[in-house]
Amino acid sequence: MEKHSSTHERFIQTANNGKILANKCKNCGKIMLETMYYCSGCSKSDFELVEFPGIGTVVTHTIQAVAPEGFDDIKSYAWVVFKLKDAPISASGFLPGIKTPADLPIGSTVKVKGYDTKHGLTLEKQDL
Amino acid sequence: MVNNVCVLGAGSTKYGKLSESVIELGLDAAKNAIDSAGITPKDIQAGYISNVFGFADKQVHMAPVLMSNLGIPHVPGLTIESACGSGSVMFREAYANVAAGFYDCVLAVGVEKITHAGTTLSTTLFSYCSDFFYEGGNGASFPGLFASIARSYLTTYKATEEDLAHVAVKNHENGLLNPKAHIRKKITVDDVMNSPVVASPLKIYDCCPFSDGASAVILCTEEFAKKVGKNYMKVIGSGRGGSPAAVQSREDITTIPSTIIAAKQAYNMAGVTPKDIDFAEVHDCFTIAEIIDIEDLGFFEKGTGGVAAREGITRRNGEIPINPSGGLKSKGHPIGATGIGQVVEVFEQFTGAAGERTVKDAEIAMTHNFGATGASAAVHIFQKV
Repeated sequence: MEKHSSTHERFIQTANNGKILANKCKNCGKIMLETMYYCSGCSKSDFELVEFPGIGTVVTHTIQAVAPEGFDDIKSYAWVVFKLKDAPISASGFLPGIKTPADLPIGSTVKVKGYDTKHGLTLEKQDL
Repeated sequence: MVNNVCVLGAGSTKYGKLSESVIELGLDAAKNAIDSAGITPKDIQAGYISNVFGFADKQVHMAPVLMSNLGIPHVPGLTIESACGSGSVMFREAYANVAAGFYDCVLAVGVEKITHAGTTLSTTLFSYCSDFFYEGGNGASFPGLFASIARSYLTTYKATEEDLAHVAVKNHENGLLNPKAHIRKKITVDDVMNSPVVASPLKIYDCCPFSDGASAVILCTEEFAKKVGKNYMKVIGSGRGGSPAAVQSREDITTIPSTIIAAKQAYNMAGVTPKDIDFAEVHDCFTIAEIIDIEDLGFFEKGTGGVAAREGITRRNGEIPINPSGGLKSKGHPIGATGIGQVVEVFEQFTGAAGERTVKDAEIAMTHNFGATGASAAVHIFQKV
């Protein structure tokens, strides 16, 4: 199979360095995740790639009793939406080891650990 | 638009764990709708089918198979997929084609067959309806996605898990009166609160079931309906909207933009406001969804949907009855069929076929159905004739 550098691959490579890859629109300055092909603000497609530290605060999360296939080997995890500390965007990922909502209060700090081929964007809780 | 569009006939199979194949279910509902309309298959000029997981029952390209088995193989068919919103999105396409004058009479069938796949596989297949790179691929299930929305809502507004439970109790109360409902069981707030957690903070009674089932309606021009001479209802408003596919990309997780956009279009087209709606069938795949829906549709101020549920305002005899059919929660959620099933409920309400669950003196009603976490939505408004 021919191999091209896809938006997903670039996002994954950056995540493996603990960062989130974003597009900054050269026309209007709006920042959005790197998988966007056109700016959601002005519809232009001329972007500057920007790497942001993969650190953010938990906006919401859930802990599921029934996991989709591929995640049933994990005893307990949270699926987390977090707002990046240094960018006006949110991302979501997989955070193992969370057993109850009390383990992860809204506003907790999480950081990107990497991108796991089986479990996707993997997070870890950061104790401040 | 060239034509006023009507719904002339409607029918559903029972919803639940069913033994028939996806094609048999679709055909059973289609026959019910054709017979209800007082027409024959020869009157049908096009077929619209909504389905999501046909491959799970070894059948895609479903429209020609259904049309062939209805004895009208030369009539064109189209299969449409828009996750859990497939039925209403398909209804809109059928509506638009009749309104535009391409056809005088069409068949719209929504169908799903999934329960044989079991819970884990079904949970996995449903996760493919999310923005998979960001959601399903990171371990989010659909209960999980709505649970994250619920947590955000409960954190933002003065609402409680008990408020969510009141939605479930009310919809089960309505579903008890629906002979075709998947789950006909009276429950209490305590039952909901003590039921097992599926995805925190949602418990099993906050979640709709996986269901099999099919629903069908006949859409036609008003001229055609008058010629046939049977009861019909008018489609007076139709709207479609979209939202960012991934929950993470929404500015406000506690609202669903596609609902607001679609509702605005439908209200404007119908020339009515939320106060004119006598009842609504809304997308309550999870209890939190109904609370957000009734706010986004303009029935209640933002943040007060939970109060409405708690105070009984949305009960069948309340100020604005929501989901008199039992909703997805109790009637069931065969995802390709759900949007059409809502239209069937309105038709039965308006033609005296809803029995004990009839909403008194209703003349204008709404259906609201969305796909995934609201990435796509359609709203329709109907008038009794």
